[in-house]
Amino acid sequence: MAEITVQNLHKEFGVGADKVVALENVNLEIGGHVFVSIVGASGCGKSTLLNILSGIETPTNGRVSITHDGRPARAGYVFQAARLLPWRTVMDNLLFVQKDRSEATRARCQHYLDMVQLGDKGKKFPGELSGGMQQRVGIARAFSTEPDVLFMDEPFSHLDAITARSLRAELQTMWQETKKTVVFVTHDVGEAVELSERILVFAKGGRLADDLTMSLPFPRDVSDPKVAVAKANVFKTFEQIGALAVT
Amino acid sequence: MSGGTVVTARVARGLKSPLAGRLTFPLVCLAVWLLTIEVVTAIWPFAVDVLPQPTEVAGFMWDEVTGNTLAPRNMYATFWISLQRLGIGMVIAMLLGTVIGLGMGLSRAVNAFFNDWVVAILAMPNLAWALFCSLAFGFGITGPIVTVVLTGIPYVIINIREGVRNAPSDLYDMARAFGVTRGHTIRHVLIPSLMPFMFAAGRYAFALGWKGLVVAEVFGGQDGAGWTIKFWYDAHRAHGVIGYALLFVIFALVFEKFMFDRLSRYFFKWRPASDVELVEERFDPAGAGAQKVTAGPPPRRDVTTETRRPDDG
Repeated sequence: MAEITVQNLHKEFGVGADKVVALENVNLEIGGHVFVSIVGASGCGKSTLLNILSGIETPTNGRVSITHDGRPARAGYVFQAARLLPWRTVMDNLLFVQKDRSEATRARCQHYLDMVQLGDKGKKFPGELSGGMQQRVGIARAFSTEPDVLFMDEPFSHLDAITARSLRAELQTMWQETKKTVVFVTHDVGEAVELSERILVFAKGGRLADDLTMSLPFPRDVSDPKVAVAKANVFKTFEQIGALAVT
Repeated sequence: MSGGTVVTARVARGLKSPLAGRLTFPLVCLAVWLLTIEVVTAIWPFAVDVLPQPTEVAGFMWDEVTGNTLAPRNMYATFWISLQRLGIGMVIAMLLGTVIGLGMGLSRAVNAFFNDWVVAILAMPNLAWALFCSLAFGFGITGPIVTVVLTGIPYVIINIREGVRNAPSDLYDMARAFGVTRGHTIRHVLIPSLMPFMFAAGRYAFALGWKGLVVAEVFGGQDGAGWTIKFWYDAHRAHGVIGYALLFVIFALVFEKFMFDRLSRYFFKWRPASDVELVEERFDPAGAGAQKVTAGPPPRRDVTTETRRPDDG
């Protein structure tokens, strides 16, 4: 079972007068097969936290530990833009992040391409696919490494509403089937309510302001009054921490 | 629209096409050539001896193509000699230029060390390098090869440096997030991202290296295309000088078209061409594609009061 522990995490960018505090003394624990969303306004440190968790950035202070049954956990990442190698085919993009290129690995990659309904697009180059399809390849790539933890940084924010909705449904299905630990960054409260079991609310200045549990059953229908109430409650939390104040 | 108008419109469209533009240019050049001969010989009648007619030049070129030449070697052997020198010079320029360009792109100190000298070499005319190399290395193949290297290398260095500076950092972050090894990242991210810059560098080095080579062969060669142009100059055959220069241009164009264009198509097949159809997202929930197509627009519905879903039947 994956365990993420963050202790006294602090991150600053720049020096002197240009210094910006991205994360301030963040402490949290995420354990088990859970879908956790991190929500907050732009610039509140959501993506910085994810980048530190995935090793892209290093913290100024503090400690991060990501383990699975006592060993370092394998992590997958879905980015805001798909970040595919334009000069490699879809299948080669999946193989690029694998440890080997054996037949079993190829079969696993093909399985995840099938799961995102792109099983017949393995020989296409990313430039031949639409934005939504490229993001699907990004999701398949992350799942294909069979990670213990999956980090997702606003993966649907660049897509149109209809494509984003269909991909959310696919992600929900894949998560239910594979039961990974997912840490999902978004600024869309509705998206967080629809997908998550737990929502971490970040305030300006990189402070973890609230930790909310979403106990509604899946799949969640956006027209369900209970989902609408949950969404309103998250917004109320933003009001309480002053994130909705007009500045 | 009448038949005559249609034909006129087609002719007008044809004249505006890129092909018509390409074909018109040499015809205009030919006309300017003939006109210049007429004007100059009207003013200085003796100039008729040094201004060759297009027919003379064409005849000379045909003789060269068919191997009927007075020069020591035929056209094919001559161009093969020059091509080998160009190839050796280009390989050296590409290898050295890539190493220096990589260093300049990755290190500020290396960039500061080389930058001014690269600009200075870039500003130096081919003629100056050709003369210098002829003096330094004498007659033989070294001078022309070094000229090709010196002419091409600054373009390679600058292109590779810009390629490194424009490295796709988002792809490096992606590779790091997935724990991809350094060697794998260099092979699949760094090198492919540098390919367009290396290709541009190769094209520049080829085009400018040719010019440098010919000039160097004029001064310091004992054979090759440049030397043969000088042979015709020494023989007071103006049609030979122009004809051989034209053959040289045609050879360079054919080489560029068949080698670089093909290599470009092979290396950059991943770039979506404008005529390639993008695979569009298929949003087809619950077999909507099987629904019958109705004529005309759908009736307007008020979704703020409606409780029934469209697929409820």
